[in-house]
Amino acid sequence: MSASDAPSERAASPRRSWGPLALALPALVLLVAVIGYPLATIVIRSFTEPQAGLQNYSWFFSTPVNLVVLQRTFTISAWVTLVCVFCAYPFAYAMTAVGPKLRMLLTLCVLIPFWVSGVVRTLSWVILLQDSGVINSMLRSVGLDGVRLIRTQTGVIIGMAQVLLPFMVLPLYSVMKGIDLRLVQAARSLGAGPIRAFFTVYLPLSLPGVYAGAIIVFILALGFYITPALLGGPRSTMLSTLVQNQVLSLLQWGRGGAMGVVLLVATFLLLALAGPLMRQRHKQGTR
Amino acid sequence: MTILRSRLAAIGAVAALGVAMATGAFAQEKPVAGAVAEGSLKGKTLTFASFGGIFQDGQIAALKEFVDKSGVKLLSDGPTEIAKVQAQVESKNVTWDVVDTADFPPYVHCGTLFQKLDFSKIDTSKIPQGQVSDCSVPAMNYGVVLMYKTEKYKDNPPKNWVDFFDTEKFPGVRGIDGSGDFTGGLLEQAFRAAGGDPKAMTKDDIAKAVDKVRELGGDTIYWKTGAESQQLAEAGEADMIMMWTGRAMTAVKNGAKFTPAWQDWLVVMDQLTIPVGAKDPDASHALINAYLGKSAQEILTKETSYTPINSEAKPVVDDSVAAFLTNTPERQSQGYQQNIKFWVENFQAASEQWSAMMAGG
Repeated sequence: MSASDAPSERAASPRRSWGPLALALPALVLLVAVIGYPLATIVIRSFTEPQAGLQNYSWFFSTPVNLVVLQRTFTISAWVTLVCVFCAYPFAYAMTAVGPKLRMLLTLCVLIPFWVSGVVRTLSWVILLQDSGVINSMLRSVGLDGVRLIRTQTGVIIGMAQVLLPFMVLPLYSVMKGIDLRLVQAARSLGAGPIRAFFTVYLPLSLPGVYAGAIIVFILALGFYITPALLGGPRSTMLSTLVQNQVLSLLQWGRGGAMGVVLLVATFLLLALAGPLMRQRHKQGTR
Repeated sequence: MTILRSRLAAIGAVAALGVAMATGAFAQEKPVAGAVAEGSLKGKTLTFASFGGIFQDGQIAALKEFVDKSGVKLLSDGPTEIAKVQAQVESKNVTWDVVDTADFPPYVHCGTLFQKLDFSKIDTSKIPQGQVSDCSVPAMNYGVVLMYKTEKYKDNPPKNWVDFFDTEKFPGVRGIDGSGDFTGGLLEQAFRAAGGDPKAMTKDDIAKAVDKVRELGGDTIYWKTGAESQQLAEAGEADMIMMWTGRAMTAVKNGAKFTPAWQDWLVVMDQLTIPVGAKDPDASHALINAYLGKSAQEILTKETSYTPINSEAKPVVDDSVAAFLTNTPERQSQGYQQNIKFWVENFQAASEQWSAMMAGG
């Protein structure tokens, strides 16, 4: 490129950076209106209701049950993420390995739950998981009696993982289908066994999909409400239920807001900590 | 001219009320529950908020005569949430004209979220005693009843709530209403089971009552919806369940092998209210007055199996429904009335302790 071309290129570059932003404008306007504004209101109310000050936050941190439930919310979400990774990974791989017709079928399997109402799905889990339910009667026929699934954390994790599975499968699939399988073949031809080829070549290449899916699933899980309410018991109550009680039954918008803000900040902190770790691993993986 | 016409109409119609209100005239006659003036609300729209399901369908069915006669357009909305009422009242954009609420809200928020009712426009003479408050009339009556698994307890069944809380004499899984706010009557019974006197309960005793519920143990089921309680009974997932009478009736009808222990069944009701700042309070009052009528209440009971709140209503229902109606003399003598005043005064403390327990704390 000659030096005389430089001015025209400089002139073109602002257009290149602002043009795409204009395309994002409708989405930005929508986000500010339906997320930004209500969120700001919640934050403000958490500091101003019923009086200006930090009373909602000092209440939150001085009430033991809030802290127990906050911690539980993160624990359950982490388990759900883990279950989703282990279920979705082989599934997404299978989607890349089969022919187009079968792939269509597998995609449908992932997407159908999206089209069914969350309440209906959760109630189906009630029927499956309850003490006199399908799973327990199967377990009983092989001699396992009295396994409690419903109204336990296990039940909540199973139900939530099923609801959130598509959010793990789809990012994984989109990354996996871009992986050149010849790299694995190359590893094999250089003497790596199938397991080693998977762990040193395929797995690192697929990690970006795992991270993307894990973050989406984890964040969505933090705010879950219906599933833990219907499948869980007192020991699996998540923070959203407590927020609901403060706002809907006690009309304590300030406290409800403070709980939401605490959850949001905790999530940001966690992601800020996990982010660099993931980027580093990712770099190692693609090196 | 308008006044003259309205006066003539008032003489002609049994219910002068609706016409007088609709035409803005002053004729004040004693309202009669259920009476509606022909065409009195033509061109107007009322929005009725309630809890959905067959209950709200039945309420709308009960109001059909009111709609047909008055010419009003009736919209149905919900589910009722006090936070939504608050949002409407505070933004001065009240879209709900009549709201069906749970027991306590009209007492807790009387004058702030719900307006004081004008009882010159509502006939309360047929409502069972002690159920009308400054800001509410009952929407129906029901009970919370102890249902136990018949075969589990055979010859020695639980008789009342004290037995419900006695897990040594009566082992088994309990099911408790965890659908929303605490039930005052249950906490009073828990306090009694803990050795206290519910009539002399103080704020500090709430913790003792909640502890008694907590002591039922880790396998206690806190059902979240009426449907879930019914399903628990039908599947036999619990051995003793605290149930709403309507759901208990349906569960038994569907084959649940459960028996009610009626002693100290808890008297509960839904309330009808008008939010502060409702567009047309006169029309809202007219709806409530119509709702309380004999035939409206008969339809309500037939459709929903809840107990009517007009003492003259004689709904025709089959035996399975009749077995769970709570307005017979026998049931009335067994019922336990919670101390509404106490729970309204201590609403925040009780609600917080209850929800902490419900969250596993």
